[in-house]
Amino acid sequence: MSSITLAAPDPLGLYTNPIGHWVIVVVAMVVALVVLMTGAAYSVWFERVALGRMQRRPGPNRVGPFGLLQLAADGVKLAFKESFAPRMVDPVLYVLAPAIMVTAAFLAWAVIPVGIWYGFSYWIADLNVGILLVLAVSSMNAYALLLGGWSSNNKYSLLGGLRAAAQLVSYELSLGLALVPVFMIVGSLRLQDIATYQVHWFGASFPLPLILVAPLSFVIYMVSAVAEVNRTPFDLPEAEQELIGGYLTEYSGLKFVCFYLGEYINMITVAALATLLFLAGWEGPLLPPVFWMFVKIVFFIFLFIWLRTTLPRLRYDMLMRLGWKVLLPLAIANVVVTAIVLVAVQ
Amino acid sequence: MVAQAIFWIASAVAILGGVGVITLRQPINAVLSLVAVMLALSVLFLLLSAQFIFAVQIIVYAGAVMVLFLFVVALLGPGRERTRGGLRLHWSLSLLVALPFFGVLWAMLSGVRFRAPQKADLATFGSVQQIGIGLFTKYLFPFELTSILLLVAAVGAIYLSRGERAGHGAGTADEDQDDRA
Repeated sequence: MSSITLAAPDPLGLYTNPIGHWVIVVVAMVVALVVLMTGAAYSVWFERVALGRMQRRPGPNRVGPFGLLQLAADGVKLAFKESFAPRMVDPVLYVLAPAIMVTAAFLAWAVIPVGIWYGFSYWIADLNVGILLVLAVSSMNAYALLLGGWSSNNKYSLLGGLRAAAQLVSYELSLGLALVPVFMIVGSLRLQDIATYQVHWFGASFPLPLILVAPLSFVIYMVSAVAEVNRTPFDLPEAEQELIGGYLTEYSGLKFVCFYLGEYINMITVAALATLLFLAGWEGPLLPPVFWMFVKIVFFIFLFIWLRTTLPRLRYDMLMRLGWKVLLPLAIANVVVTAIVLVAVQ
Repeated sequence: MVAQAIFWIASAVAILGGVGVITLRQPINAVLSLVAVMLALSVLFLLLSAQFIFAVQIIVYAGAVMVLFLFVVALLGPGRERTRGGLRLHWSLSLLVALPFFGVLWAMLSGVRFRAPQKADLATFGSVQQIGIGLFTKYLFPFELTSILLLVAAVGAIYLSRGERAGHGAGTADEDQDDRA
C-alpha cells in the first residue's frame, strides 16, 4: 500500500491506525461523490443562467429561489423517464458506455487535492505519478463515447462516436505535452506539490501562480481541455445541427443522466486542474483556502460558458488541423524552450 | 492477502481476455477483450510498485492504441466482419506450431526459480524520477535507438499511406488544400 500523507496535524493518531485510515478514506470518497454530483448539477444551473443572461433572457427562474431547484426537478423527471433502448442495439455495450463515462469522471478525483483550511489540504490517494492518473482515467472517456455511439445502431450516433474518439486521441497529446514544462519547473507530477509550489527569489519564498512562468502552457492546456471535454467550439461529437445529438442521440433517462453527469464532472475536473496547475491552487490572501479554490474553479467554469456563447463551432478538418499542426508543434517547442531556459538559469 | 487476491483477479482477467481476443466472433468484442488484457496488465504493474509504467500502460495502450483499433472496427460497421462457422482447428498444423512453442516455453521456464524480489526502496522504486534517471543515464543508448526506430516506422507509415492515395488521384478536401499550399 502506498503511504498516504495528510497535510494536517493528527492528534488522535487516526491516520496512522489502519482502520481509522480506511474510515477516513471511505468518508472522503463519499463526500467527494456528493460534492461532485451537487457541483455538476449547479454547473448546469450556472451555465443555463449565464447563457441566458448573455443572450438577454432570464434563464431558469421558476423552480425555487433564482431557479436553484431547477436541476432537482430535471433530475426527478429524467429518473422517471422510461429507460428504452432502440431495436438491434448491443445490450451490454449500450449500458456499459454511460457506466464507463461516469466512473472515469469520478475516478479522476482520487488524486486531486483540495485545500480546505489554513495548512490543511486533503487528497484521497498519494500517487507519485499524480496527474498521469488523471490523464489515464480521462483517456477512458474515448471508450464511453465511441462505444455509446457504436452500440446505439444509429448512423448519427456512430459518426458522433467516431468524431469523439479521433478528437480525444488528438487533443490528449497536446494536453499532456502542454503540462510538461510545469512538471519540469516544479520537479514533481504530484498535484499537491504543483499547487503549493514556492519560488525562492530575492531571499524570500512565496507561492507563485505558474501561469506567470508558463503562459504558453496555460493557453495550450485551456484549448486542449475544452476539446477534451467536448464543449463548444469543439463539440463536434454532439453537434446538434448536423448529428442530432451525436453519441447521445439514442440515450434517455438515467443513462442520459450518466453521460451528462460525466461531462459536467469532467468540466469541473479540468477547471480544478487548471486551478491547481496554473493559478497556485488554493493559495490566496485573507480568505481561507477552500474559498479561493472554489472561486478559481467557478472562474474557469464561467470561462467555458463564456467561450460557448462567443465562438462558433469549428469545422472537422479545422479541428484536426488545429490539434496536429498548431497546438502539437507549439507544445513541443514550448517544452524545448523551457528546458533550455531551465538549464540556463540553474 | 489483498495484494494476492488482486494478483489472481488481474491474472485471471488477463488470461480470459487473451482467450476472448481469439475466440469472440464479434470484432468489437475481441478488441474490448484486448482492452481488458491491457488494463489487467496495468494492474499487475501497479502491484509491482511500478506506478509510472502503470500510468503509461493505460494512457498509451488502453487510451490511445486500443481506441484506434476500436475506431477502425466501428468504421467497418457492426456485423460486417462476422466470420462464418466456428473456429476450425487444423490439428496437424496446430500441433506442428504448438509443440515447438511449448517446448521452447518449457525450456525457458524450467530454469526459472521462484525468488523474492531484490530489496528496493519502495519510496523511490518505480517513481517518475527513478525511471527518468534510468532512461537518461544507464539506458540512454537503447532509449535513443528505440526512438529512432519508432520515428522510422512512423515516417514509413505516412509515406506508404500518402503514396497509395496519390496513385488513386483522389484525396480528401483537406489533403487537396495541403497539396495546393
